[in-house]
Amino acid sequence: MSNSSVRQGLSKKSASPLLGSFLKTLSHLSVWIYAAALALPIYYVVISSMKTNQEIFLSPASLPKNWSLANYSLAWEAASLGDGLINSSIVVLFSLAINLALAIPAAFAIARSENRLSRALSGLFAAGFLIPPFAALVATVLLSIWLELFHTKLFLILYYPAMTMPLAVLLLTQYMRSIPKELAESAKIDGASQLQILVHIYIPLSRPAIVSVVVVNFINLWNEYLFALILAGPKVSNQTVQVALPTLTGVYTSDYGLLAAGTVISLVPVYLVYAILQRRLEGALAAGAVKG
Amino acid sequence: MHRKPIRLQTRESLSLALSAPAVIWFTGFMILPLISMFYLSFTDWGSLVSKQNFVGLAQYQKVLSDPIFWAAFQNTAFQVAVAVPVMTFAGLMLAYYLNLRPRGVNLLRVLFFTPALMSISAKSMLFLGVFSTDGLLNFGLRSFNLESWTTTWLANEGTALNSIIAIDIWSGIGFTAVLLAVRLSGIPQDIFEAAEIDGAGHWRKIWNISYPVMKDYFGGLFMLQFLWTASNSAALVLLLTSGGPGTSTYTLSYLAFSKAFLQQSVGYSQVAAVSLFLFGVIGMLVIRRIFRSVV
Repeated sequence: MSNSSVRQGLSKKSASPLLGSFLKTLSHLSVWIYAAALALPIYYVVISSMKTNQEIFLSPASLPKNWSLANYSLAWEAASLGDGLINSSIVVLFSLAINLALAIPAAFAIARSENRLSRALSGLFAAGFLIPPFAALVATVLLSIWLELFHTKLFLILYYPAMTMPLAVLLLTQYMRSIPKELAESAKIDGASQLQILVHIYIPLSRPAIVSVVVVNFINLWNEYLFALILAGPKVSNQTVQVALPTLTGVYTSDYGLLAAGTVISLVPVYLVYAILQRRLEGALAAGAVKG
Repeated sequence: MHRKPIRLQTRESLSLALSAPAVIWFTGFMILPLISMFYLSFTDWGSLVSKQNFVGLAQYQKVLSDPIFWAAFQNTAFQVAVAVPVMTFAGLMLAYYLNLRPRGVNLLRVLFFTPALMSISAKSMLFLGVFSTDGLLNFGLRSFNLESWTTTWLANEGTALNSIIAIDIWSGIGFTAVLLAVRLSGIPQDIFEAAEIDGAGHWRKIWNISYPVMKDYFGGLFMLQFLWTASNSAALVLLLTSGGPGTSTYTLSYLAFSKAFLQQSVGYSQVAAVSLFLFGVIGMLVIRRIFRSVV
Protein backbone atom coordinates (compact mmCIF):
# COMPACT_ATOMS: atom_id res chain seq x y z
CA MET A 1 0.00 0.00 0.00
CA SER A 2 2.50 2.61 1.15
CA ASN A 3 4.94 1.42 -1.47
CA SER A 4 2.59 2.04 -4.35
CA SER A 5 1.54 5.40 -3.06
CA VAL A 6 5.19 6.39 -2.81
CA ARG A 7 5.69 5.37 -6.41
CA GLN A 8 2.61 7.25 -7.38
CA GLY A 9 3.90 10.32 -5.62
CA LEU A 10 7.30 9.96 -7.30
CA SER A 11 5.87 9.61 -10.76
CA LYS A 12 4.03 12.87 -10.60
CA LYS A 13 7.10 15.00 -10.08
CA SER A 14 5.40 18.18 -11.15
CA ALA A 15 2.46 17.84 -8.79
CA SER A 16 3.24 18.95 -5.29
CA PRO A 17 1.90 16.76 -2.51
CA LEU A 18 -0.15 19.70 -1.33
CA LEU A 19 -1.87 20.03 -4.69
CA GLY A 20 -2.39 16.27 -4.76
CA SER A 21 -4.15 16.18 -1.46
CA PHE A 22 -6.11 19.26 -2.40
CA LEU A 23 -7.37 17.51 -5.54
CA LYS A 24 -8.16 14.43 -3.53
CA THR A 25 -10.23 16.41 -1.05
CA LEU A 26 -11.89 18.21 -3.91
CA SER A 27 -12.97 15.00 -5.59
CA HIS A 28 -14.29 13.48 -2.36
CA LEU A 29 -16.09 16.73 -1.76
CA SER A 30 -17.72 16.87 -5.19
CA VAL A 31 -18.96 13.30 -4.87
CA TRP A 32 -20.60 14.10 -1.57
CA ILE A 33 -22.03 17.35 -2.90
CA TYR A 34 -23.75 15.36 -5.61
CA ALA A 35 -24.91 12.85 -3.01
CA ALA A 36 -26.36 15.70 -0.99
CA ALA A 37 -28.03 17.07 -4.09
CA LEU A 38 -29.76 13.71 -4.46
CA ALA A 39 -30.67 13.39 -0.81
CA LEU A 40 -31.94 16.92 -0.19
CA PRO A 41 -34.96 16.94 -2.51
CA ILE A 42 -35.98 13.56 -1.11
CA TYR A 43 -35.55 14.82 2.44
CA TYR A 44 -37.53 17.90 1.44
CA VAL A 45 -40.44 15.94 0.03
CA VAL A 46 -40.59 13.62 3.03
CA ILE A 47 -40.56 16.37 5.67
CA SER A 48 -42.91 18.57 3.65
CA SER A 49 -45.41 15.75 3.51
CA MET A 50 -45.78 15.96 7.26
CA LYS A 51 -45.97 19.74 7.61
CA THR A 52 -48.64 22.35 7.19
CA ASN A 53 -48.31 24.65 4.22
CA GLN A 54 -47.45 27.54 6.44
CA GLU A 55 -44.56 25.58 7.89
CA ILE A 56 -43.31 24.56 4.45
CA PHE A 57 -43.42 28.19 3.44
CA LEU A 58 -41.74 29.63 6.53
CA SER A 59 -39.10 27.03 7.32
CA PRO A 60 -38.66 24.75 4.32
CA ALA A 61 -35.62 22.88 5.54
CA SER A 62 -36.44 22.14 9.14
CA LEU A 63 -38.17 19.11 10.57
CA PRO A 64 -41.90 19.40 11.17
CA LYS A 65 -42.88 20.80 14.54
CA ASN A 66 -45.88 18.52 14.79
CA TRP A 67 -45.47 15.37 12.79
CA SER A 68 -48.79 15.01 11.08
CA LEU A 69 -50.12 12.40 8.70
CA ALA A 70 -53.11 14.52 7.72
CA ASN A 71 -51.66 15.23 4.27
CA TYR A 72 -51.43 11.52 3.63
CA SER A 73 -55.07 10.78 4.20
CA LEU A 74 -56.05 13.89 2.24
CA ALA A 75 -53.83 12.99 -0.72
CA TRP A 76 -55.05 9.41 -0.59
CA GLU A 77 -58.63 10.64 -0.92
CA ALA A 78 -58.10 13.54 -3.32
CA ALA A 79 -56.16 11.60 -5.94
CA SER A 80 -57.84 8.24 -5.32
CA LEU A 81 -54.40 6.79 -4.75
CA GLY A 82 -55.87 3.58 -3.39
CA ASP A 83 -57.57 2.90 -6.71
CA GLY A 84 -54.41 3.98 -8.46
CA LEU A 85 -52.29 1.48 -6.57
CA ILE A 86 -54.75 -1.31 -7.27
CA ASN A 87 -54.97 -0.44 -10.96
CA SER A 88 -51.19 -0.24 -11.23
CA SER A 89 -50.84 -3.61 -9.54
CA ILE A 90 -53.36 -5.26 -11.83
CA VAL A 91 -51.88 -3.80 -14.99
CA VAL A 92 -48.28 -4.52 -14.06
CA LEU A 93 -48.93 -8.03 -12.79
CA PHE A 94 -50.80 -9.20 -15.88
CA SER A 95 -48.35 -7.45 -18.19
CA LEU A 96 -45.42 -9.17 -16.56
CA ALA A 97 -47.13 -12.55 -16.83
CA ILE A 98 -47.94 -12.13 -20.52
CA ASN A 99 -44.47 -10.79 -21.19
CA LEU A 100 -42.83 -13.86 -19.65
CA ALA A 101 -45.23 -16.27 -21.32
CA LEU A 102 -44.22 -14.85 -24.69
CA ALA A 103 -40.57 -14.01 -24.11
CA ILE A 104 -39.41 -17.26 -22.50
CA PRO A 105 -40.38 -19.57 -25.42
CA ALA A 106 -39.08 -16.99 -27.88
CA ALA A 107 -35.72 -16.72 -26.15
CA PHE A 108 -35.55 -20.51 -25.89
CA ALA A 109 -36.14 -20.85 -29.61
CA ILE A 110 -33.67 -18.15 -30.58
CA ALA A 111 -30.98 -19.36 -28.20
CA ARG A 112 -31.21 -22.96 -29.38
CA SER A 113 -30.98 -22.49 -33.11
CA GLU A 114 -28.18 -20.90 -35.02
CA ASN A 115 -29.51 -20.16 -38.45
CA ARG A 116 -30.19 -17.00 -40.35
CA LEU A 117 -33.75 -16.75 -39.17
CA SER A 118 -32.86 -16.86 -35.50
CA ARG A 119 -30.20 -14.22 -36.04
CA ALA A 120 -32.75 -12.07 -37.82
CA LEU A 121 -35.16 -12.48 -34.93
CA SER A 122 -32.64 -11.45 -32.32
CA GLY A 123 -31.76 -8.54 -34.61
CA LEU A 124 -35.42 -7.53 -34.65
CA PHE A 125 -35.57 -7.37 -30.87
CA ALA A 126 -32.20 -5.65 -30.62
CA ALA A 127 -33.45 -2.97 -33.00
CA GLY A 128 -36.70 -2.77 -31.07
CA PHE A 129 -34.69 -1.99 -28.00
CA LEU A 130 -33.51 1.19 -29.66
CA ILE A 131 -36.94 2.38 -30.79
CA PRO A 132 -38.34 4.79 -28.25
CA PRO A 133 -42.00 3.68 -28.09
CA PHE A 134 -43.00 7.26 -27.48
CA ALA A 135 -42.71 8.13 -31.17
CA ALA A 136 -45.59 5.81 -31.99
CA LEU A 137 -47.94 6.94 -29.20
CA VAL A 138 -50.58 8.40 -31.52
CA ALA A 139 -50.58 5.36 -33.76
CA THR A 140 -50.90 3.19 -30.66
CA VAL A 141 -53.97 5.17 -29.66
CA LEU A 142 -55.45 4.43 -33.09
CA LEU A 143 -54.72 0.75 -32.61
CA SER A 144 -56.53 0.80 -29.28
CA ILE A 145 -59.52 2.57 -30.83
CA TRP A 146 -59.58 0.05 -33.65
CA LEU A 147 -59.54 -2.80 -31.14
CA GLU A 148 -62.30 -0.98 -29.22
CA LEU A 149 -60.06 -0.95 -26.19
CA PHE A 150 -59.36 2.78 -25.93
CA HIS A 151 -59.50 3.99 -22.31
CA THR A 152 -59.33 0.54 -20.81
CA LYS A 153 -56.84 -1.16 -18.55
CA LEU A 154 -56.96 -4.16 -20.84
CA PHE A 155 -55.21 -2.35 -23.66
CA LEU A 156 -52.35 -1.40 -21.36
CA ILE A 157 -52.14 -5.02 -20.25
CA LEU A 158 -51.79 -6.07 -23.88
CA TYR A 159 -49.50 -3.23 -24.89
CA TYR A 160 -46.97 -3.26 -22.04
CA PRO A 161 -45.72 -6.81 -22.75
CA ALA A 162 -44.82 -5.68 -26.27
CA MET A 163 -43.07 -2.59 -24.95
CA THR A 164 -40.93 -4.68 -22.62
CA MET A 165 -40.42 -7.54 -25.07
CA PRO A 166 -37.01 -6.54 -26.51
CA LEU A 167 -35.34 -6.32 -23.11
CA ALA A 168 -36.88 -9.59 -21.95
CA VAL A 169 -36.01 -11.55 -25.07
CA LEU A 170 -32.46 -10.18 -25.26
CA LEU A 171 -31.66 -10.85 -21.60
CA LEU A 172 -33.16 -14.32 -21.64
CA THR A 173 -31.57 -15.31 -24.95
CA GLN A 174 -28.20 -14.19 -23.73
CA TYR A 175 -28.58 -16.25 -20.59
CA MET A 176 -29.99 -19.33 -22.29
CA ARG A 177 -27.11 -19.39 -24.75
CA SER A 178 -24.82 -20.08 -21.82
CA ILE A 179 -26.71 -23.26 -20.88
CA PRO A 180 -24.70 -26.26 -22.18
CA LYS A 181 -26.34 -27.78 -25.25
CA GLU A 182 -25.41 -31.28 -24.06
CA LEU A 183 -28.11 -31.12 -21.40
CA ALA A 184 -30.79 -30.73 -24.03
CA GLU A 185 -29.16 -33.29 -26.32
CA SER A 186 -29.15 -36.01 -23.70
CA ALA A 187 -32.74 -35.22 -22.77
CA LYS A 188 -33.66 -35.47 -26.42
CA ILE A 189 -32.07 -38.91 -26.62
CA ASP A 190 -34.20 -39.91 -23.66
CA GLY A 191 -37.21 -38.92 -25.73
CA ALA A 192 -38.00 -35.50 -24.27
CA SER A 193 -39.93 -33.09 -26.47
CA GLN A 194 -38.92 -29.48 -27.08
CA LEU A 195 -41.57 -28.32 -24.67
CA GLN A 196 -40.33 -30.71 -21.98
CA ILE A 197 -36.77 -29.52 -22.51
CA LEU A 198 -37.96 -25.93 -22.10
CA VAL A 199 -40.03 -26.60 -19.00
CA HIS A 200 -37.75 -29.04 -17.19
CA ILE A 201 -34.29 -27.83 -18.15
CA TYR A 202 -34.22 -24.31 -19.51
CA ILE A 203 -36.74 -22.57 -17.30
CA PRO A 204 -35.33 -23.85 -13.98
CA LEU A 205 -31.76 -23.07 -15.07
CA SER A 206 -32.70 -19.58 -16.27
CA ARG A 207 -34.28 -18.56 -13.00
CA PRO A 208 -31.76 -15.77 -12.28
CA ALA A 209 -32.35 -14.20 -15.68
CA ILE A 210 -36.11 -14.53 -15.33
CA VAL A 211 -35.99 -12.78 -11.98
CA SER A 212 -33.88 -10.01 -13.51
CA VAL A 213 -36.38 -9.53 -16.32
CA VAL A 214 -39.28 -9.39 -13.89
CA VAL A 215 -37.58 -6.86 -11.65
CA VAL A 216 -36.44 -4.52 -14.41
CA ASN A 217 -39.79 -4.69 -16.17
CA PHE A 218 -41.61 -4.18 -12.91
CA ILE A 219 -39.79 -0.90 -12.30
CA ASN A 220 -40.23 0.29 -15.88
CA LEU A 221 -43.92 -0.54 -16.05
CA TRP A 222 -44.80 0.60 -12.57
CA ASN A 223 -43.25 3.98 -13.38
CA GLU A 224 -44.61 4.35 -16.92
CA TYR A 225 -46.59 7.55 -17.29
CA LEU A 226 -47.48 8.81 -20.77
CA PHE A 227 -49.00 5.66 -22.24
CA ALA A 228 -50.97 5.03 -19.07
CA LEU A 229 -52.22 8.61 -19.18
CA ILE A 230 -53.36 8.52 -22.79
CA LEU A 231 -54.38 4.91 -23.29
CA ALA A 232 -56.10 4.12 -20.02
CA GLY A 233 -57.55 7.58 -19.69
CA PRO A 234 -58.59 9.79 -16.82
CA LYS A 235 -61.29 7.64 -15.24
CA VAL A 236 -60.53 6.72 -11.63
CA SER A 237 -61.31 3.08 -12.36
CA ASN A 238 -58.51 2.97 -14.97
CA GLN A 239 -55.95 5.40 -13.61
CA THR A 240 -52.60 3.98 -12.58
CA VAL A 241 -50.93 5.52 -9.56
CA GLN A 242 -48.52 7.49 -11.78
CA VAL A 243 -51.45 9.09 -13.59
CA ALA A 244 -53.35 9.71 -10.37
CA LEU A 245 -50.49 11.46 -8.59
CA PRO A 246 -50.17 14.55 -10.83
CA THR A 247 -53.93 15.16 -10.65
CA LEU A 248 -53.13 16.63 -7.24
CA THR A 249 -51.49 19.61 -8.93
CA GLY A 250 -54.67 20.52 -10.75
CA VAL A 251 -56.85 20.67 -7.67
CA TYR A 252 -54.38 21.91 -5.09
CA THR A 253 -51.84 23.98 -6.95
CA SER A 254 -50.33 25.64 -3.93
CA ASP A 255 -50.67 22.80 -1.47
CA TYR A 256 -47.20 21.28 -1.59
CA GLY A 257 -47.67 19.24 1.58
CA LEU A 258 -50.44 17.31 -0.08
CA LEU A 259 -48.42 16.85 -3.24
CA ALA A 260 -45.45 15.67 -1.22
CA ALA A 261 -47.52 13.12 0.66
CA GLY A 262 -48.91 11.75 -2.59
CA THR A 263 -45.42 11.53 -4.02
CA VAL A 264 -44.16 9.56 -1.03
CA ILE A 265 -47.08 7.14 -1.29
CA SER A 266 -46.37 6.55 -4.97
CA LEU A 267 -42.70 5.85 -4.26
CA VAL A 268 -43.16 3.29 -1.50
CA PRO A 269 -43.82 0.14 -3.60
CA VAL A 270 -40.78 0.60 -5.82
CA TYR A 271 -38.48 1.41 -2.93
CA LEU A 272 -39.70 -1.68 -1.10
CA VAL A 273 -38.79 -3.84 -4.08
CA TYR A 274 -35.43 -2.12 -4.26
CA ALA A 275 -34.76 -2.65 -0.56
CA ILE A 276 -35.38 -6.37 -0.95
CA LEU A 277 -33.54 -6.87 -4.22
CA GLN A 278 -30.87 -4.17 -4.30
CA ARG A 279 -27.89 -6.10 -5.61
CA ARG A 280 -29.85 -8.18 -8.06
CA LEU A 281 -31.57 -5.12 -9.44
CA GLU A 282 -28.36 -3.23 -10.09
CA GLY A 283 -26.79 -6.25 -11.76
CA ALA A 284 -29.90 -6.85 -13.84
CA LEU A 285 -30.06 -3.27 -15.00
CA ALA A 286 -26.39 -3.25 -15.82
CA ALA A 287 -26.79 -6.36 -17.91
CA GLY A 288 -30.07 -5.35 -19.43
CA ALA A 289 -29.82 -1.65 -20.01
CA VAL A 290 -27.15 -2.25 -22.57
CA LYS A 291 -26.82 -5.63 -24.10
CA GLY A 292 -23.43 -7.29 -24.38
CA MET B 1 -28.26 -41.32 -42.62
CA HIS B 2 -30.05 -39.24 -45.20
CA ARG B 3 -32.96 -38.56 -42.97
CA LYS B 4 -31.13 -37.12 -40.06
CA PRO B 5 -30.20 -33.66 -41.34
CA ILE B 6 -33.73 -33.19 -42.66
CA ARG B 7 -35.25 -34.13 -39.35
CA LEU B 8 -32.91 -31.81 -37.55
CA GLN B 9 -33.95 -28.97 -39.79
CA THR B 10 -37.64 -29.46 -39.24
CA ARG B 11 -36.95 -29.70 -35.55
CA GLU B 12 -35.10 -26.47 -35.68
CA SER B 13 -37.79 -24.57 -37.51
CA LEU B 14 -40.37 -26.18 -35.27
CA SER B 15 -38.63 -24.88 -32.23
CA LEU B 16 -38.24 -21.47 -33.84
CA ALA B 17 -42.01 -21.48 -34.14
CA LEU B 18 -42.04 -21.05 -30.38
CA SER B 19 -40.90 -17.50 -30.98
CA ALA B 20 -43.83 -16.73 -33.28
CA PRO B 21 -46.24 -15.46 -30.60
CA ALA B 22 -43.65 -13.02 -29.28
CA VAL B 23 -42.78 -11.81 -32.76
CA ILE B 24 -46.42 -11.37 -33.74
CA TRP B 25 -47.20 -9.55 -30.50
CA PHE B 26 -44.21 -7.28 -30.85
CA THR B 27 -44.95 -6.55 -34.49
CA GLY B 28 -48.61 -5.84 -33.85
CA PHE B 29 -48.17 -3.51 -30.94
CA MET B 30 -44.82 -1.88 -31.70
CA ILE B 31 -43.78 -2.14 -35.34
CA LEU B 32 -47.15 -1.52 -37.00
CA PRO B 33 -47.84 1.67 -35.00
CA LEU B 34 -44.36 2.84 -35.90
CA ILE B 35 -45.04 2.30 -39.58
CA SER B 36 -48.40 4.02 -39.43
CA MET B 37 -46.71 7.00 -37.81
CA PHE B 38 -44.93 7.58 -41.12
CA TYR B 39 -48.20 7.29 -43.01
CA LEU B 40 -50.01 9.66 -40.67
CA SER B 41 -47.32 12.28 -41.10
CA PHE B 42 -48.43 12.60 -44.73
CA THR B 43 -52.01 13.44 -43.75
CA ASP B 44 -53.75 16.63 -42.70
CA TRP B 45 -55.53 14.92 -39.84
CA GLY B 46 -56.89 17.26 -37.19
CA SER B 47 -58.51 15.83 -34.09
CA LEU B 48 -58.61 12.10 -33.49
CA VAL B 49 -62.32 11.95 -34.37
CA SER B 50 -62.19 13.95 -37.61
CA LYS B 51 -61.49 12.66 -41.10
CA GLN B 52 -58.03 12.50 -42.60
CA ASN B 53 -56.79 13.31 -46.09
CA PHE B 54 -53.54 12.25 -47.64
CA VAL B 55 -51.70 15.45 -48.44
CA GLY B 56 -48.21 14.11 -49.06
CA LEU B 57 -45.38 16.44 -48.28
CA ALA B 58 -47.69 19.42 -47.80
CA GLN B 59 -47.91 18.63 -44.09
CA TYR B 60 -44.12 18.62 -43.86
CA GLN B 61 -43.99 21.94 -45.66
CA LYS B 62 -46.42 23.40 -43.19
CA VAL B 63 -44.58 22.08 -40.15
CA LEU B 64 -41.11 22.96 -41.36
CA SER B 65 -42.15 26.57 -41.88
CA ASP B 66 -43.52 26.81 -38.35
CA PRO B 67 -41.13 28.60 -35.97
CA ILE B 68 -42.41 26.55 -33.02
CA PHE B 69 -41.12 23.39 -34.69
CA TRP B 70 -37.67 24.89 -35.01
CA ALA B 71 -37.74 26.17 -31.46
CA ALA B 72 -38.61 22.65 -30.33
CA PHE B 73 -35.89 21.18 -32.50
CA GLN B 74 -33.32 23.57 -31.12
CA ASN B 75 -34.37 22.91 -27.54
CA THR B 76 -34.14 19.16 -28.04
CA ALA B 77 -30.70 19.44 -29.61
CA PHE B 78 -29.55 21.69 -26.79
CA GLN B 79 -31.06 19.42 -24.16
CA VAL B 80 -29.30 16.26 -25.33
CA ALA B 81 -26.06 18.06 -26.17
CA VAL B 82 -25.79 19.30 -22.58
CA ALA B 83 -27.44 16.58 -20.54
CA VAL B 84 -26.11 13.40 -22.11
CA PRO B 85 -22.35 14.08 -22.09
CA VAL B 86 -22.52 15.54 -18.59
CA MET B 87 -24.43 12.63 -17.09
CA THR B 88 -22.41 9.93 -18.81
CA PHE B 89 -18.91 11.30 -18.26
CA ALA B 90 -19.63 12.39 -14.70
CA GLY B 91 -21.21 8.97 -14.25
CA LEU B 92 -18.03 7.32 -15.45
CA MET B 93 -15.89 9.23 -12.97
CA LEU B 94 -18.30 8.42 -10.16
CA ALA B 95 -18.32 4.76 -11.17
CA TYR B 96 -14.54 4.73 -10.86
CA TYR B 97 -14.87 6.38 -7.48
CA LEU B 98 -17.39 3.75 -6.31
CA ASN B 99 -15.11 1.00 -7.54
CA LEU B 100 -12.36 2.25 -5.20
CA ARG B 101 -14.70 1.29 -2.35
CA PRO B 102 -14.28 4.54 -0.44
CA ARG B 103 -15.84 5.15 2.94
CA GLY B 104 -19.62 5.32 2.71
CA VAL B 105 -19.72 3.42 -0.57
CA ASN B 106 -22.93 1.58 0.28
CA LEU B 107 -24.74 4.75 1.20
CA LEU B 108 -23.52 6.38 -2.02
CA ARG B 109 -24.73 3.46 -4.11
CA VAL B 110 -28.20 3.67 -2.62
CA LEU B 111 -28.35 7.43 -3.06
CA PHE B 112 -27.09 7.29 -6.64
CA PHE B 113 -29.68 4.73 -7.51
CA THR B 114 -32.71 6.42 -5.98
CA PRO B 115 -33.61 8.61 -8.97
CA ALA B 116 -33.70 5.55 -11.20
CA LEU B 117 -36.57 4.22 -9.12
CA MET B 118 -38.65 7.35 -9.51
CA SER B 119 -41.32 7.70 -12.13
CA ILE B 120 -41.41 10.84 -14.19
CA SER B 121 -44.54 11.93 -12.39
CA ALA B 122 -42.93 11.50 -8.97
CA LYS B 123 -39.82 13.33 -10.15
CA SER B 124 -41.94 16.14 -11.49
CA MET B 125 -43.87 16.50 -8.24
CA LEU B 126 -40.61 16.51 -6.33
CA PHE B 127 -39.14 19.26 -8.45
CA LEU B 128 -42.30 21.34 -8.50
CA GLY B 129 -41.50 21.86 -4.84
CA VAL B 130 -37.80 22.32 -5.31
CA PHE B 131 -38.15 24.92 -8.07
CA SER B 132 -41.19 26.81 -6.80
CA THR B 133 -40.98 30.44 -5.65
CA ASP B 134 -40.73 29.49 -2.00
CA GLY B 135 -39.19 26.15 -2.70
CA LEU B 136 -36.04 24.42 -1.60
CA LEU B 137 -33.71 25.91 -4.19
CA ASN B 138 -34.65 29.53 -3.56
CA PHE B 139 -34.54 28.89 0.17
CA GLY B 140 -31.03 27.52 -0.20
CA LEU B 141 -29.92 30.53 -2.23
CA ARG B 142 -31.41 32.92 0.31
CA SER B 143 -29.65 31.26 3.17
CA PHE B 144 -26.36 31.80 1.30
CA ASN B 145 -27.30 35.45 0.83
CA LEU B 146 -27.82 34.99 -2.88
CA GLU B 147 -31.26 36.57 -2.94
CA SER B 148 -30.52 38.10 -6.36
CA TRP B 149 -30.13 34.63 -7.88
CA THR B 150 -33.57 33.48 -6.83
CA THR B 151 -36.21 33.24 -9.51
CA THR B 152 -39.32 31.32 -10.45
CA TRP B 153 -37.23 28.65 -12.10
CA LEU B 154 -39.92 26.97 -14.17
CA ALA B 155 -41.75 30.16 -15.14
CA ASN B 156 -38.75 32.16 -16.25
CA GLU B 157 -37.94 31.97 -19.94
CA GLY B 158 -34.23 32.05 -19.23
CA THR B 159 -34.19 29.21 -16.71
CA ALA B 160 -37.09 26.87 -17.51
CA LEU B 161 -35.34 24.66 -20.07
CA ASN B 162 -32.16 24.60 -18.00
CA SER B 163 -34.18 23.50 -14.98
CA ILE B 164 -35.56 20.57 -16.95
CA ILE B 165 -32.07 19.70 -18.16
CA ALA B 166 -30.89 19.88 -14.55
CA ILE B 167 -33.47 17.24 -13.61
CA ASP B 168 -32.18 14.98 -16.40
CA ILE B 169 -28.64 15.41 -15.17
CA TRP B 170 -29.63 15.07 -11.52
CA SER B 171 -31.11 11.65 -12.11
CA GLY B 172 -28.89 10.57 -15.00
CA ILE B 173 -25.49 10.83 -13.32
CA GLY B 174 -26.28 8.48 -10.47
CA PHE B 175 -28.00 5.88 -12.62
CA THR B 176 -25.14 5.85 -15.13
CA ALA B 177 -22.62 5.66 -12.29
CA VAL B 178 -24.24 2.61 -10.70
CA LEU B 179 -24.50 0.75 -14.01
CA LEU B 180 -20.90 1.52 -14.94
CA ALA B 181 -19.70 0.61 -11.45
CA VAL B 182 -21.29 -2.83 -11.73
CA ARG B 183 -19.52 -3.23 -15.05
CA LEU B 184 -16.24 -1.91 -13.72
CA SER B 185 -16.21 -4.28 -10.78
CA GLY B 186 -16.51 -7.12 -13.27
CA ILE B 187 -13.19 -6.43 -14.98
CA PRO B 188 -9.97 -7.87 -13.54
CA GLN B 189 -8.80 -5.43 -10.92
CA ASP B 190 -5.12 -6.28 -11.37
CA ILE B 191 -4.84 -4.04 -14.42
CA PHE B 192 -5.42 -1.14 -12.06
CA GLU B 193 -2.72 -2.44 -9.76
CA ALA B 194 -0.35 -2.85 -12.68
CA ALA B 195 -1.06 0.69 -13.80
CA GLU B 196 -0.46 1.92 -10.30
CA ILE B 197 2.97 0.32 -10.29
CA ASP B 198 3.64 2.14 -13.54
CA GLY B 199 2.83 5.32 -11.75
CA ALA B 200 -0.64 6.04 -13.08
CA GLY B 201 -2.77 8.30 -10.90
CA HIS B 202 -6.53 8.18 -10.62
CA TRP B 203 -7.05 10.50 -13.55
CA ARG B 204 -5.08 8.26 -15.88
CA LYS B 205 -6.71 5.16 -14.46
CA ILE B 206 -10.09 6.61 -15.36
CA TRP B 207 -9.30 7.74 -18.87
CA ASN B 208 -6.56 5.33 -19.95
CA ILE B 209 -7.92 2.16 -18.38
CA SER B 210 -11.52 2.26 -17.19
CA TYR B 211 -12.77 4.13 -20.19
CA PRO B 212 -11.13 2.07 -22.96
CA VAL B 213 -11.98 -1.20 -21.22
CA MET B 214 -15.65 -0.31 -21.10
CA LYS B 215 -15.81 1.74 -24.25
CA ASP B 216 -18.45 -0.34 -26.04
CA TYR B 217 -20.62 -0.56 -22.98
CA PHE B 218 -20.15 3.12 -22.28
CA GLY B 219 -21.04 3.94 -25.88
CA GLY B 220 -24.20 1.85 -25.64
CA LEU B 221 -25.21 3.57 -22.44
CA PHE B 222 -24.47 6.94 -24.01
CA MET B 223 -26.83 6.08 -26.87
CA LEU B 224 -29.60 4.94 -24.56
CA GLN B 225 -29.33 8.04 -22.41
CA PHE B 226 -29.49 10.06 -25.59
CA LEU B 227 -32.68 8.29 -26.68
CA TRP B 228 -34.27 8.42 -23.23
CA THR B 229 -33.48 12.07 -22.70
CA ALA B 230 -34.88 13.06 -26.08
CA SER B 231 -38.06 11.02 -25.87
CA ASN B 232 -38.84 11.26 -22.14
CA SER B 233 -38.89 15.02 -22.16
CA ALA B 234 -42.55 14.99 -23.27
CA ALA B 235 -43.79 13.83 -19.89
CA LEU B 236 -41.44 16.03 -17.90
CA VAL B 237 -42.37 19.13 -19.89
CA LEU B 238 -46.07 18.28 -19.77
CA LEU B 239 -46.02 18.04 -15.99
CA LEU B 240 -43.69 20.93 -15.23
CA THR B 241 -44.02 23.71 -17.81
CA SER B 242 -46.41 22.69 -20.61
CA GLY B 243 -43.87 24.03 -23.07
CA GLY B 244 -43.82 27.52 -21.63
CA PRO B 245 -43.08 30.18 -20.86
CA GLY B 246 -43.53 31.09 -24.51
CA THR B 247 -42.02 28.23 -26.44
CA SER B 248 -38.93 28.06 -24.28
CA THR B 249 -39.44 24.46 -23.13
CA TYR B 250 -41.05 23.00 -26.24
CA THR B 251 -39.10 19.89 -27.20
CA LEU B 252 -39.75 17.68 -30.21
CA SER B 253 -41.36 15.00 -28.10
CA TYR B 254 -43.53 17.46 -26.22
CA LEU B 255 -44.52 19.07 -29.52
CA ALA B 256 -45.56 15.67 -30.90
CA PHE B 257 -47.55 15.05 -27.75
CA SER B 258 -49.26 18.40 -27.45
CA LYS B 259 -50.18 18.70 -31.13
CA ALA B 260 -51.92 15.33 -31.00
CA PHE B 261 -53.62 15.44 -27.63
CA LEU B 262 -53.96 19.08 -26.68
CA GLN B 263 -54.15 20.97 -29.98
CA GLN B 264 -56.03 18.61 -32.29
CA SER B 265 -53.54 18.41 -35.13
CA VAL B 266 -52.57 14.78 -35.48
CA GLY B 267 -50.88 15.24 -38.85
CA TYR B 268 -48.61 17.95 -37.49
CA SER B 269 -47.90 15.83 -34.43
CA GLN B 270 -46.79 12.93 -36.57
CA VAL B 271 -44.38 15.09 -38.53
CA ALA B 272 -42.86 16.05 -35.19
CA ALA B 273 -42.78 12.39 -34.15
CA VAL B 274 -41.08 11.38 -37.40
CA SER B 275 -38.58 14.19 -36.89
CA LEU B 276 -37.88 12.96 -33.39
CA PHE B 277 -37.47 9.44 -34.69
CA LEU B 278 -35.05 10.54 -37.41
CA PHE B 279 -33.24 12.77 -34.92
CA GLY B 280 -32.81 9.66 -32.75
CA VAL B 281 -31.58 7.45 -35.58
CA ILE B 282 -29.15 10.03 -36.95
CA GLY B 283 -27.98 10.87 -33.45
CA MET B 284 -27.26 7.22 -32.75
CA LEU B 285 -25.31 6.80 -35.96
CA VAL B 286 -23.26 9.89 -35.15
CA ILE B 287 -22.61 8.71 -31.61
CA ARG B 288 -21.55 5.30 -32.86
CA ARG B 289 -19.23 6.90 -35.37
CA ILE B 290 -17.62 9.04 -32.72
CA PHE B 291 -17.09 6.17 -30.31
CA ARG B 292 -15.64 4.00 -33.07
CA SER B 293 -13.19 6.56 -34.35
CA VAL B 294 -12.01 8.16 -31.12
CA VAL B 295 -9.63 5.91 -29.24
